[in-house]
Amino acid sequence: MSTLEIKDLHVEVSDEESQKTKEILKGVNLTMSTGEIHAIMGPNGTGKSTLSQTIMGQPAYHVTQGDILLDGESILDMPVDERARRGLFLAMQYPAEIQGVTNAEFLRAAINARRADDDQISVMAFLKELDKNLALLDMNESMTERYLNEGFSGGEKKRNEILQLLMIKPKFALLDEIDSGLDIDALKVVSKGVNSMRGDNFGSLIITHYQRLLNYIVPDVVHVMMGGKIVKTGDADLAKTLEKEGYAGLRDDLGIDVALVDED
Amino acid sequence: MNAVESTETLNAALVASATEHRDPDWLVAQRTAALAQIEQLRVPKFHRFTYRDWNLLDHRLLWQASDPTLAAGITQASDHGQIIQVGQTTVAVNLPQALRDQGVILTDLFTALTQYPELTKPYLNQIIPATEDKLAAYHVAYLNGGLFLYVPQNVVVDDPIEAHIVQDSTQDGPQVSHVLIVADQGSQVAFTQHLTTQGTRANLVNNVVEIVANDNSRVKFASVDELGRDTLTYFNRRALVKHNAEVDWAVGLMNLGDTLGQFDTNLVGEGAQTETKVVAITSQDQREGINTRITNRGKHTVGNILQRGVLLGTSELVFNGIGDIIHGASGANAEQENRLLMMTPGTHGDANPILLIDENDVIAGHAASVGQVDQSQLYYLMSRGIDRKTAERLVIRGFLSTVLSAIPSKNVQQQLIKTIERNLQNG
Ligand SMILES: Nc1ncnc2c1ncn2[C@@H]1O[C@H](COP(=O)(O)OP(=O)(O)OP(=O)(O)O)[C@@H](O)[C@H]1O
Ligand SMILES: [Mg+2]
Repeated sequence: MSTLEIKDLHVEVSDEESQKTKEILKGVNLTMSTGEIHAIMGPNGTGKSTLSQTIMGQPAYHVTQGDILLDGESILDMPVDERARRGLFLAMQYPAEIQGVTNAEFLRAAINARRADDDQISVMAFLKELDKNLALLDMNESMTERYLNEGFSGGEKKRNEILQLLMIKPKFALLDEIDSGLDIDALKVVSKGVNSMRGDNFGSLIITHYQRLLNYIVPDVVHVMMGGKIVKTGDADLAKTLEKEGYAGLRDDLGIDVALVDED
Repeated sequence: MNAVESTETLNAALVASATEHRDPDWLVAQRTAALAQIEQLRVPKFHRFTYRDWNLLDHRLLWQASDPTLAAGITQASDHGQIIQVGQTTVAVNLPQALRDQGVILTDLFTALTQYPELTKPYLNQIIPATEDKLAAYHVAYLNGGLFLYVPQNVVVDDPIEAHIVQDSTQDGPQVSHVLIVADQGSQVAFTQHLTTQGTRANLVNNVVEIVANDNSRVKFASVDELGRDTLTYFNRRALVKHNAEVDWAVGLMNLGDTLGQFDTNLVGEGAQTETKVVAITSQDQREGINTRITNRGKHTVGNILQRGVLLGTSELVFNGIGDIIHGASGANAEQENRLLMMTPGTHGDANPILLIDENDVIAGHAASVGQVDQSQLYYLMSRGIDRKTAERLVIRGFLSTVLSAIPSKNVQQQLIKTIERNLQNG
C-alpha cells in the first residue's frame, strides 16, 4: 500500500504581468492511500487545479509552507519527471499539443522512462497493451499514429489522458476535470477506463464539478475545497448534497468568508 | 611583398600544380582567369550575418593522397550506385551493371573531365560562374576534388545514388570539392551525400554542388552535412531547372564548425519546380549563416522553402529565405517558412524572409518565427516520467519532423536522426 499525504500546504503563484505573488492554497490537509478514490469539488478559482499541479511539481507554483509526502518521503525537492516515475500521474485540464511526436512514440518513451536501459519494453508487448487499452476506451487505432494531442477534439484529448493512465499505470492518478466537455457516452467510456484501474495498488484524486461523474466512478471520500482550503470531508453522499444545495449553503453553514463567482 | 608580385607568385604556383596534375588546358585556363579576379570580387552578402574575420581563402593547390581506411566504417553497396571518397582519394565506385548499360556515369570529377569533356565542360563552373563573387572564384581556381553523376535521357534510376565524402583532416590542406550532376531530359534520379570529417586539423572546406536538370527531368538531392568542429565550411549548392523539371533539396546541416552556406534554385523553364527543405542544429559557440534562394524566372514555376533550425549553447544561426520573382514569371508560386527554436537563452537566431517580386501575377507567401522552447510542452512530457533531456529531444525532433519526413532515402533519414541525437547530446 502507498500513501500520499498533503500537510498544511500553502502555495503561491506570481503573476507574470504584475510581478505580484498571490497565495492560493492556504493550508490544505489531505491523506489518501492506494485502494481509495477521493473526489474534490469546489467553486471555480478555489485552487483545485493548483493543488493537483503542485503535487505534480509544476514549477509556477511555489510551496511556502507545509509538505507533500509520498510513502512518508517528501517530494517537494523532486523534479516533475522524478515524481512521475515514483508513481504520480496528472490528467491535465488542458493537455499540451506536441507536433511531430506521435502518440505511440510518446507512450513508449513514457513507459520506458520507468524501466531500466536493459529492460525496455518490446514492440510486441507494447502493441499488445496498447491494443487492449484502445479497445477498452473505444479509441480508433489511428489515434496512436497522430501527433500528440495535435488537432484532437476536447473529448479526444480527455480520452487520450486516460489512455496514458492505463498504459503508465501509476500509483496515484490526479484527474483534473476529466469529465469536462465529454458527451454522455464518452463519460461512460472514460469512467470505465478509470474503474478498470481500481484495486489495491491504485488510488485516485478526482477533481470535478459534476456529481454525474461520481455516479460512474463512485468515490470513497469526497472533499469540498473553498478559499484555498478543504472545508468539509464526507462520503459519496456529500457530493449529492452539494449538487442539490450548491456551495453557498455550505459556506454559510460553516461560516466561511469567501466570495463565490456567481455573487461578484 | 606587394599585391602584384603576390598575385604573380600565386598564379605561377597554381599553374605549376595544375599542370603537374595534368588538368585539361581548358580547366587550367579557368583556374588562372578565376585567380586573377579573386582580389577584385566581393564576398557574398549574408543579410544580418557577418563573417569578416573568417579566413575562407587558402591559396594552396595541393595534391594529397589519403588513407582509404579512413572510410573503413562505410558499408560498400552492391545493389545501388555508390561512391566513397576520402579527401582526394576515391576509395570505391560501385555502380550496378544495369545502370552502366543504360549509360549512367558515376565517377570522380577529374576522371570525368578527361574522359567525358563533352558532358562536363559545358556545365562545370557555369551554373555558379567564377565571376560571381570572391568565394566562387576561389573555388574555380583551387578546385581539388569531387565527383560527377550523369543520367542520360529518359533513364529512371530507382534507388538513390549514395556519396560518402570524408574530409581528411588527419593532414593539413583545404578541401575544395565539387559535385556536378547532369540529369538529361526526362530522367529521374535521387542523389544522397554524407559529408564527414576524420581528424582534427583546422582545415577549410569549400564545397560546391551544381545540378543541371534538363527538360522534364527530376532530381532529388539529399545531404547530411556532418563536418567536424575544426572545419570551417563554405558551401554553395545551385540547381538550374529547365522546362517542367523539378529539383528537390532535403538537407540536414549538422556541421559542428562555423559554416556559411548558400542554396540557390534557378527555375528557368516554364513549369519548373523545387521544394527546398533544410534543417540545421547549431551548438556551443558555433556560427552559421544560410542563404536559401529560389529564383522564379519561368512562367508557372513553383518554389517552396521550408527551413527549421535548433540552436543550442551560445550558437548563432541565421536563415535568410530569398524569393526572387523575375518580371515575366507570370503564374509563379513562391512560399517560404523559416522557423528557429532556441533551446538556451544565450543563443542568437534570426529568420529573415526576403521577397523580391517584380511581377504582378504571382502567389507568394512567407512565415517566419524565432522562439524559445515551449515550457508547457516540456512539463507535459516530463509529467509522464520522461526526463528533461529526452523531453527536449522529443520536442526538437517534432519541430524538425516536417523536413525529416521529406528525405527520399530511409538510410539518409536514419543517418540524420542519429546525427541529430548526437548533436543534441553534445549540446
Ligand atoms: N499560473 C498561475 N498564474 C497566476 N494565477 C494563477 C495561476 N494558476 C492559478 N492561478 C489563480 O489561482 C486561483 C485558483 O486557480 P485554480 O486553477 O487552481 O482554480 P480551480 O479550483 O481549478 O478552478 P476551476 O474550477 O475553474 O478549474 C485562480 O484565481 C487563478 O486565477
Ligand atoms: Mg481547475
